[in-house]
Amino acid sequence: MSISVHIGPLGARVVPAALGLATLIVSAQWAPVLGFWWAMGLGMGFALQRGRLCFAASFRDLFVNGRGELMRAVLLGVMAATTAFAALMARMVPDPSMGELAPKIHVWPLGANVLIGGLLFGVGMVLAGGCISGTLWRIGEGYVGSLVALGGILLGLEGAALSWNWWWEHSMSKAPLIWLPHSLGHMGAWISVMAALAVLYLLTYWWEARRAGPEVRFPGQPQPPLVTFQDRLRALWNKLFVQAWPASAAAVALSLLNVTAFAFDHPLGVTGELSAWSSRTFGLVGLHPGHLEGLDQFAGCNLVDAPPGLLTNTFMLDVGLVFGAFAASVMASEFKIRVPRQPVRYLQSAMGGTLMGYGSGIALGCTIGAFFSAIPSLGLNGWLFGLGLLGGAFVGSQIIRRLA
Amino acid sequence: MKLDVRGEICPYPMMRTVDALGKLPPNEELEVLTDHAPALATIPWEASKRGYAVDVEKVRSGEWKLTLRKAQGPLDPMAVVQEISQKTDMGG
Repeated sequence: MSISVHIGPLGARVVPAALGLATLIVSAQWAPVLGFWWAMGLGMGFALQRGRLCFAASFRDLFVNGRGELMRAVLLGVMAATTAFAALMARMVPDPSMGELAPKIHVWPLGANVLIGGLLFGVGMVLAGGCISGTLWRIGEGYVGSLVALGGILLGLEGAALSWNWWWEHSMSKAPLIWLPHSLGHMGAWISVMAALAVLYLLTYWWEARRAGPEVRFPGQPQPPLVTFQDRLRALWNKLFVQAWPASAAAVALSLLNVTAFAFDHPLGVTGELSAWSSRTFGLVGLHPGHLEGLDQFAGCNLVDAPPGLLTNTFMLDVGLVFGAFAASVMASEFKIRVPRQPVRYLQSAMGGTLMGYGSGIALGCTIGAFFSAIPSLGLNGWLFGLGLLGGAFVGSQIIRRLA
Repeated sequence: MKLDVRGEICPYPMMRTVDALGKLPPNEELEVLTDHAPALATIPWEASKRGYAVDVEKVRSGEWKLTLRKAQGPLDPMAVVQEISQKTDMGG
């Protein structure tokens, strides 16, 4: 299979990339830290769009058609990040047996709120056809349904903020915090987590062989031979900017960004900023959740009250993600304003978004912060959230079948 | 037969294509119009399981036409794999 027609002059298609680069240079000169997070956002949006790396699909496909390819890509990314995170954390806390926790890692108590948040999030991401980061990069590609989902996410986050103190009192404050290096040491924790991930990786093959039927691929059209230097450069350009990346390449790129972000300050997460947007939006109509108990004890994508300035690090990350995906889709000539034709899809996006917003609010993060950054942090909360996602995706798959 | 699934996102382009294949008269090809890039991976997978070969053509920015044709004779997965291995660059 090959995509033969490229549409639009190259000049018009590199404008967004040039704009992204220009804003990056300017912001890095004017405020290096904001510039760093802007670069992380652009990189995330670019990698996620190019690899079409959809966390929602990685869980949903297991149940909808038995495919495990995207889940394997995600697991590979988690393994890469786990290795680098373990090395960084070993530097931060040389002797973990003393009960100290590495700073800013995504480890928090193993409360029922993490599992329930994961379940709600899993149902929501399947209903909306994308998780929270997926919603952001699809907005960059021109999906109108994703804008509706974003509205739902903000609503759900406000609901989570309003009920946070209940979750804190009944679940979070009583639950044990488990960081594997405390009991297993850094090496033991790393080996255990890598082994568990490797087992899951192999399990997806077993699941696929059982559920998905034989894997048959059709050959692509023969490619013209690469003769000159220009031919080779053009082929490289196409591989990077025009053809889709393998999902596994995008997952490894995402984990590289995650490790870079952690080495710089803290792991990636996109939900905290959205909760500030939610708090600002609902603050306009007089809804204020008041003081949220216990939140200052944790890192991660906490629900946050709107900070005074708009231009925060997390703002740069989230908006950079949307812009990076926009630039990537325009360069590949894949940008299009896509409008759902069936009214029920708007309802799905809104409800799915609301479930994701609420779930990520009570579980302290989304598929990025509470899963992709949490498992490499070597706590058990990332696994509990992942279990919730899996269960939720199963339920969601049953629901969407009935909405075809 | 033509199927327009523009505006639909995963997994609906794939599910509606599978439905349409079930209703496709023999010896006819199915043209699917989609604006959802992930469907370029999900539709060929499901089509190949049902013995259909798929061609993809980009129609305009963010829009693709997939043409599904019944493959000649029964599919031999080993032959297909061999054919792929002879071509190093698969393309999109």
